[in-house]
Amino acid sequence: MSADELCYAGIRELGGLFRRRELSPVDYAADLLRRIETLDKSLNAYVTITAERALADARAAEAALERGTAGPLTGIPIAYKDLYATKGIRTTAGSALLADWVPDFDCTCVARLTQAGMVMLGKLITHEFAFGIQFPGHRFPPARNPWNLDHIPGGSSSGSGAALAAGLTVGSLGSDTGGSIRGPAAFCGIAGLKPTYGRVSRAGVVTLSWTLDHTGPMARSAEDCAFMLQALAGHDPADPASAREPVADYLANLEGGVKGLRVGVVRDYFFEQVEPETVAAFERALGELGRLGATVRDVAIPSIHATPSFMVIMLTEAFAYHERDLRARPELYGDVLREKLMAGGLFRGDEYVQAQRLRAQIREDTARALRSVDVLVTPTALGPAPAFKVALDPDFPFAKSNMGPFNVTGLPTLALPTGFSSAGLPLSFQISGRPFDEATVLRAGHAYQRATDWHRRRPPVPA
Amino acid sequence: MPELPPDVTLDEVKERARLAGLPIPPARLSLVRGFLSNALRPIRALDSRAVRTVEPAVTFDAKGGAEPGS
Repeated sequence: MSADELCYAGIRELGGLFRRRELSPVDYAADLLRRIETLDKSLNAYVTITAERALADARAAEAALERGTAGPLTGIPIAYKDLYATKGIRTTAGSALLADWVPDFDCTCVARLTQAGMVMLGKLITHEFAFGIQFPGHRFPPARNPWNLDHIPGGSSSGSGAALAAGLTVGSLGSDTGGSIRGPAAFCGIAGLKPTYGRVSRAGVVTLSWTLDHTGPMARSAEDCAFMLQALAGHDPADPASAREPVADYLANLEGGVKGLRVGVVRDYFFEQVEPETVAAFERALGELGRLGATVRDVAIPSIHATPSFMVIMLTEAFAYHERDLRARPELYGDVLREKLMAGGLFRGDEYVQAQRLRAQIREDTARALRSVDVLVTPTALGPAPAFKVALDPDFPFAKSNMGPFNVTGLPTLALPTGFSSAGLPLSFQISGRPFDEATVLRAGHAYQRATDWHRRRPPVPA
Repeated sequence: MPELPPDVTLDEVKERARLAGLPIPPARLSLVRGFLSNALRPIRALDSRAVRTVEPAVTFDAKGGAEPGS
């Protein structure tokens, strides 16, 4: 396998190479660090590279392999969205406000993946506070999309999407409040899983909106997401929203296929404003699931059009989190983000309560739809990644969101690549399941990826 | 009490900002208005008395989420 192929290898393949001593985790980490050094100059995916830490982790992994105590993630490189607190390593949240914050603790997710033997390559740029793209002049430059540097990689887990697509890490963690795992996954042609609300701990991850924030894995395949979820999932007393639901074995039935799986398509709302190429790619994916043995039918979520009200919840909670700094040090917030956050201070208490009532209704209606089908499939984004010149228009509207409904409902949702636009940019669809049924979502996604090769396409990474 | 229009007006944004004590620059008022209009449209379309009773999604747990000593 060439070095270029190796940097795109998956977790199962790398684990096999490590265990058979055909590849050293130390050599592999060193190779990826060199690749980052070369390629990230044009991508800006990394905000901090932790080379010494990576090599120390890799040496520990090698020792575990020699002792015979290695697990499936031992020696696998990972880079974290810079919203995840890392002990002794600055955690900026993509902001000038936290540019020099060095936590004295690891957040729960980092602690669990470190315990599982993963090798930390560094921290990946996030949209400022997981909400605002960095405009020119910002303390941190924005990440660029490896498929076309003039286009955004999506956000807010922008560095995670760019680094995975460019082969600059094997795994990453993102956070998703209104689509921040799935959006970059869609725009960069990778996989992103937003687990059920409460499935993966948010403790030690900088907050955007308490009742909408989710944490989860990003990778190049559904299978790699399953490997990471297995190590991440489980109750954490440090996160008040953490669930006590039992953790499934996400890998045991991954190869089970989709024969007999009941797939529901919500034709209302999710296809409004969606570009024709995205719709065509979605219909092809649906056809593929049908050929693999799934049964497909349309289902309805009557209250789905009330989804935009989730912005009342998100903005109000974000304002509650940021108010003190917004009033005391507004100059430390990026352009446009500052006013977006201030908008959250303009809602009334009754409007927040009504938004939560509508949320309960959408949740009920979606649960009803999921009684007649096992999963829902919908286009992830309305189209491919927009160009920077479009996204950096201060009046660029907050687009209608196909991802928000699954933050509102908290349902597990996996975004996967499903083709390319005529301009060569990735397209995506998302698979959503019942609460805590990540296993079915991942099984469906894995079956689709075994039958297609969109996730194996590589961008023309600039040297 | 007069009914509210479906969309938030610029004057309403200015008034809300004044009451909240938040200095939103004139150049960003239209952006903020867009956010508020989009988010509030479903709420303004809601007839709170006619819709079946739905409790807010956020619930309160008297025992709290954290375990003792955590």
